[in-house]
Order: sequence, then C-alpha cells, then structure tokens
Amino acid sequence: MRGFVAFVKKEFTEQLRTGKLFMLAAVFALFGIMNPAVAKLTPWMMEQFAESLAQTGISITEYEITAFDSWLQFFKNIPMALIIFVLAECGIFTKEYASRTLVLCLTKGLTRRRVMLAKTFVLSILWSVLYFACFGITYAYSAYFWDNSVVCSLGFAVLGWWLLGMLCVALVPFFSALFDANTGVAAGVGGVIVASYLLGLIPRLAEYTPAFLMKSAPLMYGQADSGEYTYAVIVTAILIVASVAAALPLFNKKQL
Amino acid sequence: MLKINGLYKRFGDKEVLCGLDMHVPANSVFGFIGRNGAGKTTTMKAVLGLIKTDAGEIFVDGERVRYGETQTNRKIGYLPDVPEFYSFMTAREYLRLCADITGMDKNEVASRTEELLTLVGLDTEKHRIGGYSRGMKQRLGIAQALFARPRLLICDEPTSALDPVGRKEILDILSAAASQTTVLFSTHILSDVERICTDIAFLDGGKNALCGKLADIKAKYRADEYVIETENAEGANALLAAFPTLVADGCALSLKDADGMLFDVLRFVSERGIPVIRVERSEPSLEALFVEAVEK
Ligand SMILES: Nc1ncnc2c1ncn2[C@@H]1O[C@H](COP(=O)(O)OP(=O)(O)O)[C@@H](O)[C@H]1O
Ligand SMILES: [Mg+2]
Repeated sequence: MRGFVAFVKKEFTEQLRTGKLFMLAAVFALFGIMNPAVAKLTPWMMEQFAESLAQTGISITEYEITAFDSWLQFFKNIPMALIIFVLAECGIFTKEYASRTLVLCLTKGLTRRRVMLAKTFVLSILWSVLYFACFGITYAYSAYFWDNSVVCSLGFAVLGWWLLGMLCVALVPFFSALFDANTGVAAGVGGVIVASYLLGLIPRLAEYTPAFLMKSAPLMYGQADSGEYTYAVIVTAILIVASVAAALPLFNKKQL
Repeated sequence: MLKINGLYKRFGDKEVLCGLDMHVPANSVFGFIGRNGAGKTTTMKAVLGLIKTDAGEIFVDGERVRYGETQTNRKIGYLPDVPEFYSFMTAREYLRLCADITGMDKNEVASRTEELLTLVGLDTEKHRIGGYSRGMKQRLGIAQALFARPRLLICDEPTSALDPVGRKEILDILSAAASQTTVLFSTHILSDVERICTDIAFLDGGKNALCGKLADIKAKYRADEYVIETENAEGANALLAAFPTLVADGCALSLKDADGMLFDVLRFVSERGIPVIRVERSEPSLEALFVEAVEK
C-alpha cells in the first residue's frame, strides 16, 4: 500500500512539475467559462449579423437565450476537452518505457500491478476533477445568468460523458500494455470510441454502445428518459472493468 | 549468493546465452567480464526477472527467479547500464520514493538518505536530477541501488562511460560497499577488475569461458616466470652468455621454468656485481588470460 501511495504521489508531482496539470486545468476552466459566455454573447453576435443577413433576405426572429444554450455549448465542447485530455495523458506509461525509469522501481519490488493501478487511479482522479470542475464552472455561470432547471435530466447527461471519459481512461493502460509508443495508445483509445460510434449507427445496436451516452440532447429536451440509457451504462461499465482487468496480465508479461 | 544454471537466451535467431553457468559467492566482489555484445546486460536482466529466458534457472540467495515477478528483487540492488531517474525530482525525493517502495522503516529513511548521499558525494546537490551529468547519475544510481541494504548489488558497466577520475570514484564507492554486500559488476575494462575484484567470470560465446577466484585463476595460469632487467647491455650479454635459456627483450631477460635457476642467476649477478634495475615474478595479465581462455 505504501508503495502504491508513493507512486501515486510521484505521478501527481510529475503532473504538477512538468506543467501538464496546469495546462489541462487551464483548458478545462476555459471551456467551462466559454460555454455560458458564448451563449450569453449569441444575441449580441446575432445583432451584428442581422443587418447584413437582412440584406440577403434572411430575417432573424427574436430568440430568447436560456441555460439550455449554455449546456448545448457544454456538450458540444466536452468531446474536444476529452480529446485534449487523452492526447496529453496517453503517454503516461509509454514515456516511462522509453526513459527506462520504470525498471528501477520494478527491480525494487514495486509490483507491475501497483504501477498500473496507480497510474490508472491518477488518470481517473485527474479526469474526474477536471471534468467536474468544468461542469461546476458552467453550472455556476448558467445559474447566475439563467435558470438551470429548464434542462431535463442534466445530471444524468453529465454523468454519461463522465463515464465515457472513464472508459477512455481505462483504455489507456490496456493499450499501453500492447504498444510501446504513445501514438499507438492514442490511436487505440480513439479507435475504440470511433468503432463504438460506428456500431451505434446500426439502429438495433445503438442503445448497447458506449457512444449512445453521447446523445445528451434528447435527455435535455425531456424526449428521452434516463432509463433508456441503462444498457449503454452497463456495457460501458463492463468495458471499463474488462479493459483494466485485461491490462493487468498483459502488462505483467510486457518486456520492459 | 547468486547461482545460474544452464541459462539460454536467444533474440530471434541470435543465440546470446547458450548454457551459462555461474556462481557468485557471498561477500565477493565479482567482475563479470565480456566484450561488447557478449550478453552481460542480458544475463543481468535475466537475474532481475526483466527478460524471459529460454531455458535454465537462476537462484538468488536460494530463491528461484521468475520472469515478471519481483519477489527476489527485494534482495538485489540494481544499477542499469544507463540509469535514468525521474528528472523532475531531486536526489533526496528520489531516494524517498525508493524507501517507500521497498517499505523501509520510516524512522530510518532520513538518516539512510544522508548516509548514502554522503557516500556518493551528492549530499550538497540541491538541483533536480534533470540537470545531472552522466557521472552524477551513475553515483545516484549506486545510492539508490544500495539504499535498502541489498544482499546483492548488481552494476551493469558502472564505469564504462566515465572519465578516469569518475571511474576511480565509482570503483572506490564499490569497494566501500563491498564490506556490506556482495557486489557483481560487469565491465570490459580489465584494469578495473584487477583493481577491486576478488572473483571473476569471463563471458564468451554465451558461456562462461573462465570463472573463479581471481587469485586462484592467476595462480593456475601463472607460469613460473621471472623477469630480470639489467641496467646496461654488457650485463645482459654476460647473463645471456652464462645462461643461454634466458629470453632477451632488450635489457629485460625473462626466465621461464625457474626450478632453482633463479638463484643461480642471482648468485651470478651478485658475484659479477652486475647493476640491476628490477627482478620480479611476472604475473599473467588478465588480457593474456582472457585471450587464452577465449581461444581454448
Ligand atoms: N531486446 C533485444 N532484441 C534483440 N537483440 C538483443 C536485445 N537485447 C540484446 N540483444 C543482442 O544481444 C546481444 C547481447 O547484448 P548485451 O547483453 O546487451 O551485451 P553486453 O551487455 O555484454 O554488451 C547483442 O548482440 C545484442 O544485439
Ligand atoms: Mg551491456
């Protein structure tokens, strides 16, 4: 346990001192602020365009901005934030293969299992904290400007994307056990998400794919009930556990 | 302390180790000698369970080493050929991490850290490891390897990349460490071996070409040979005339298979009053031994 805690501490120190934590915090905070800001500025921008649009014959009807627009922005931006997160962190294992720093810890009796679990743990904490910080910022501004209660099932929609992020986190150790380079890891994680998206295009399979969790709009408009997402949640949770479980023996046999 | 029986390892179609047997006795300073690419690093990694071997068994202090497991590594301190540490940490922080990983008694950590940093001469260094020179990393490498008081210290070519001063420092540290642990280090620099080793093994063709106590090996290969060097050519010529079996190399005359003849020569020298620079028993050089062992 002490080795695990020490290694987790080392990972956080690394995130901090290499500036990665700061960079990610800035990105997620920026997204958090931008969502309500863009929504707030939309009427003003519309006004700016209105004249030129009017000349082309398009007329703009008065449109009232609500918290809804802020949350639409949130779900539009979160994929980008997740991609940045994965790209920034996909080398968390492979970097140590290349620098050969892991070998010294392993030869001191730290088990590979602990190394893997510690890194996965750190990634899930990072993702959760960053994601919910981004959510919190958007939530606070939206509550200040408008009324968040107009959005149906907001909590569930938000948890869906968090779970999807956790799937990406869980895929990192799996692909890091398979590949030596971070490009392999990034491609693997991206590949799984894209594959799940493509499978989701088949109507019969859609509700069983993790990509189904991306459909936040029906939830927000109250057109869909959170119960309809049960299978997607279960499948994603199983994939998360399976990915980490499969990574353990693979990582144990990996030539370092 | 360490026993290797019939170790085989191939990379692709390249046989690197083919039936290596080796025994490292406890409390020895063991020199593991072989040219570049002989398989020294491969052998060491196998001992640490870092690579999968094709056949053979390895025992550390009686305990079997298994690939991918780290049980036996608790008894081993390891310094890789190119040690790399977390560059964002300081030496103290790194040793702290080592202490936590090995589960060292918390009360002991601070004093052990200072003790080792002093031993390797890094006690006043405040910078992060990222700015260290090669020699400093090598010294920190020894500190982290020795940290948990291992029964066996394994160093992979600790001196190869260093300048003569750096080499001497490392050899002194290893000698000092030898009072508390068994030291196994690989090298291709024979003078390092002569300086500090008690036991040696020559690795060649994936096998042990020669193995044992350095003193025994030297004794075994010691042809009773003496060298007597005179100050001038007249002296040398007089000796050559009296003892035709001497082999001359300038003024240095070597005398093989002495069998009492040395005393006749010395008597002749003292009677004639021939000025002499040196008389010595010639030691077989490790180089000569190595070449001989490899050619056999
Ligand atoms: N991972 C590997 N894949 C393929 N060949 C390797 C690998 N590691 C070592 N070798 C080969 O094995 C031989 C022995 O290497 P090594 O043990 O590093 O030698 P030494 O440390 O004695 O210089 C070399 O010829 C090297 O090319
Ligand atoms: Mg080597």
